[in-house]
Amino acid sequence: MATDLRISNISKIYPGCIANDNVSLQFKSGKIYALLGENGAGKSTLVKILSGIISPDNGEVFLNEKNLKLSSPLDAKKNKIGMVFQHFNLFETLSVFENLSIDATEDNKSLRVRINEILKKYNFSIDLDVPVLNLSAGQKQKVEIIRCLLRSPKVLIMDEPTSVLTEQETEELFISLKKFCDEGILIIYITHKLKEVLSLCDEVAVMRKGKVVSVSQTQNEKVETLASKMVGQKLAKIKKKINTSKNKDEIFKVKHLNFYSDDPFETNLVNLNFSLKKGECLGIAGISGNGQNELFQILSGEIITPDTSIIFRNKEIAKLNPKQRREYLMAFSPEDRISQAAVPELKIYENVALNNFKSSNFFEKGLVNERKIKEHSKKILSDFSVNTDNVELKSQFLSGGNLQKLILGRELITAPELLICYNPTWGLDVGAINYIHETLIKINDEEKSTILISTDTEELLKLSDRIAVIYKGKLSKIMPSVEVTPEKLGILMGGGSID
Amino acid sequence: MEDRLIKIEKRNDVPTTLYFFTPFIAIILTIIGGGIIFYTLGFNPIEALKFYFITPISNLYGFSELLLKATPLCLIAIGLSFCFKSNNWNIGAEGQLTFGAIVGGGVALLFYNQEGFYILPLIIIAGAIGGMIFALIPAILKTYFNTNEILVSLMLVYVSKLILDYLVVGPWSNPEGFNFPETRQFSDSARMPLLFEGLRIHAGILIALAAVFVSWFVLYKTYLGFQIKVSGLSLKTAKYAGFKGKTMILIVFMISGACAGMAGVGEITGPIGQLHRMISPDYGFTAIIVAFLGRLNPFGIIFASLVVSLTYLGAETTQIFLQIPQYTGQVFQGMILFFLLASDYLLFFKIKFQNFNKNELRH
Repeated sequence: MATDLRISNISKIYPGCIANDNVSLQFKSGKIYALLGENGAGKSTLVKILSGIISPDNGEVFLNEKNLKLSSPLDAKKNKIGMVFQHFNLFETLSVFENLSIDATEDNKSLRVRINEILKKYNFSIDLDVPVLNLSAGQKQKVEIIRCLLRSPKVLIMDEPTSVLTEQETEELFISLKKFCDEGILIIYITHKLKEVLSLCDEVAVMRKGKVVSVSQTQNEKVETLASKMVGQKLAKIKKKINTSKNKDEIFKVKHLNFYSDDPFETNLVNLNFSLKKGECLGIAGISGNGQNELFQILSGEIITPDTSIIFRNKEIAKLNPKQRREYLMAFSPEDRISQAAVPELKIYENVALNNFKSSNFFEKGLVNERKIKEHSKKILSDFSVNTDNVELKSQFLSGGNLQKLILGRELITAPELLICYNPTWGLDVGAINYIHETLIKINDEEKSTILISTDTEELLKLSDRIAVIYKGKLSKIMPSVEVTPEKLGILMGGGSID
Repeated sequence: MEDRLIKIEKRNDVPTTLYFFTPFIAIILTIIGGGIIFYTLGFNPIEALKFYFITPISNLYGFSELLLKATPLCLIAIGLSFCFKSNNWNIGAEGQLTFGAIVGGGVALLFYNQEGFYILPLIIIAGAIGGMIFALIPAILKTYFNTNEILVSLMLVYVSKLILDYLVVGPWSNPEGFNFPETRQFSDSARMPLLFEGLRIHAGILIALAAVFVSWFVLYKTYLGFQIKVSGLSLKTAKYAGFKGKTMILIVFMISGACAGMAGVGEITGPIGQLHRMISPDYGFTAIIVAFLGRLNPFGIIFASLVVSLTYLGAETTQIFLQIPQYTGQVFQGMILFFLLASDYLLFFKIKFQNFNKNELRH
């Protein structure tokens, strides 16, 4: 029986951000559909609505013309919508069979028969009685898929399924997905990888900033056309004047930056080399999870890597910790402002004291100089227009934008020569974003340098003098931003190559 | 088939007053729970609770005993609060206490036939160093070899107890002691001065009180205290701020070990006066309860140590008057911790009941 899934005028608004703006899409079984978009484009929100995890503010979902009420994941299951998430929901210490039997409604014997049928049919080789923790990522994903198949789904949604898979496993997955499709299961494939869209999917819907910007047949698309749709052509109005003077002093130089990790959720970095001039902004683009986290932590000194050379203002700083690097006038604004850059349970002035540099006199002879810290905090609150003047307020009561202003203020009030920031405007509203962009431009005007690691291409094109793209832990060549187009960036971010 | 689904959510903001009030709720629930236990054992619960909580401190001697037992509890808990506040789970204070007592006791035995004002301070310092060294073992293993400090510190408790056993039976046993497993009596110069004639409460309580004030100052007024606080709330932030994580782990374990070691010295130079097998009725473990009941706050710990000390005394009096085994003390201590953790859970999380239809799971 053919399946027809229709999403009609779905909207979901979070405070300060429209995650889905009047999204309408139609899917029919027998095809594999791609939902393509950058981080924060609204793909995940849409998928969560389809799987009943969140409810939309507006709009409806129809399955075979039946209006679905999806108010919990159970409703999605009931309506035969299956979902495989990027991060697996499996009990690591239980066996494969135990994991599959948890929410089954039949007895173990017939369940085992059915599972074995599925294994045989799709050529999956998984031992049902080993604990899940012994499985590879690809096998775990198969267990999740089997879980969906046991419910004979009409719709199967795959959320960024290849992000943890090897090339080999990816190929196997594609073969299975095509089989499912031939059997009449409607497949929605969420990704930001352009090549996968072209090699697997029949139709592609591109989302940007919560809106569907295009729906097309993949046979009419190329990597370049999809990239420009994904990233958007529109350039913002405030654009800094590009710093072109070539004879300025080099302030920061990284050589042989390598990082190897045993943790499968971390990305290895392979031989990164770059340098930065005074007053320059180097943008590092990329889709999240390609090594930005690791790069930021190495630049800030949270991770020390052997054999790396980092020269800052003619001194070797590769072995210094973040506090020591601050003494050399570096400043850092991490991506995770809630649990890393600041502690929500601490008061504003205590969070300010986290950036403790020698000349601040926050801690004289090991004692807390509360008066000094509070004075300093008041200055930050007013200089960076944070909407409170109460330094005793716990930081958890600040909005994201105000917290980010506080963090940037804390980092910038020391007049650092180099600021390294990672997704500084992530999740903020337009007003705060503008303020932060203006601040970052001002730093460059004052001949201070910045490294901007960001997943927001628009932001990068607006603020950077030169841009490089990080993909799977490797850095592309560094390009002057005047020569960079969103299209080029999109190709590099999706793993393609230009010229 | 209608069923209730339980959902647990974190509360966003917990009022500070309620945070410090829940330990009292835990104590009240413990008293009620204790009453029920006494009732099921066939005693009049009111009477039994009176024997347990009132009789032990109804005279001056009893009150002195309360302070005597609260002293090591308070001192150890103060040390532990440094560890716990910074996310280091040192649960081997009993071992650090024992090892501190061994080192301090060794010094006391060196001077067994000598007098001098300098002997007691030497013993106390030796005990603190002993505890510190013993606490450094799990700390160094944690920082440089990534071992789990909970396991290592716990297992080391038995190591130190066996060392003590060996010493009091073997090389250090009293030559005139008819092979009893104990050492010589310490000389008078090696004993804690008594504060009042006829009562056992000794100068060790002054050390504990000093520790309270010093720890308050360190935790709330110094850079070290600030680093401990931040590390306890978010290790990621501590790393980002560039705090020397490894050094801090070593420091908090050393503080904790020194306090436990001094508590051990207080016992052997105070009420005991020699080394033998049973120098501590698990003060090191019970102090964990004290630290949490006192909310890891120095002044809260004073209060908590008095409450928990009372459970020791109550166990003794109920044993005498009601012929109930002394282990009721541990039952009460366990109940306090249980109710504290339970009320904390309700304080930090709210439980929601949702209706859902089980049939929906079937297709």
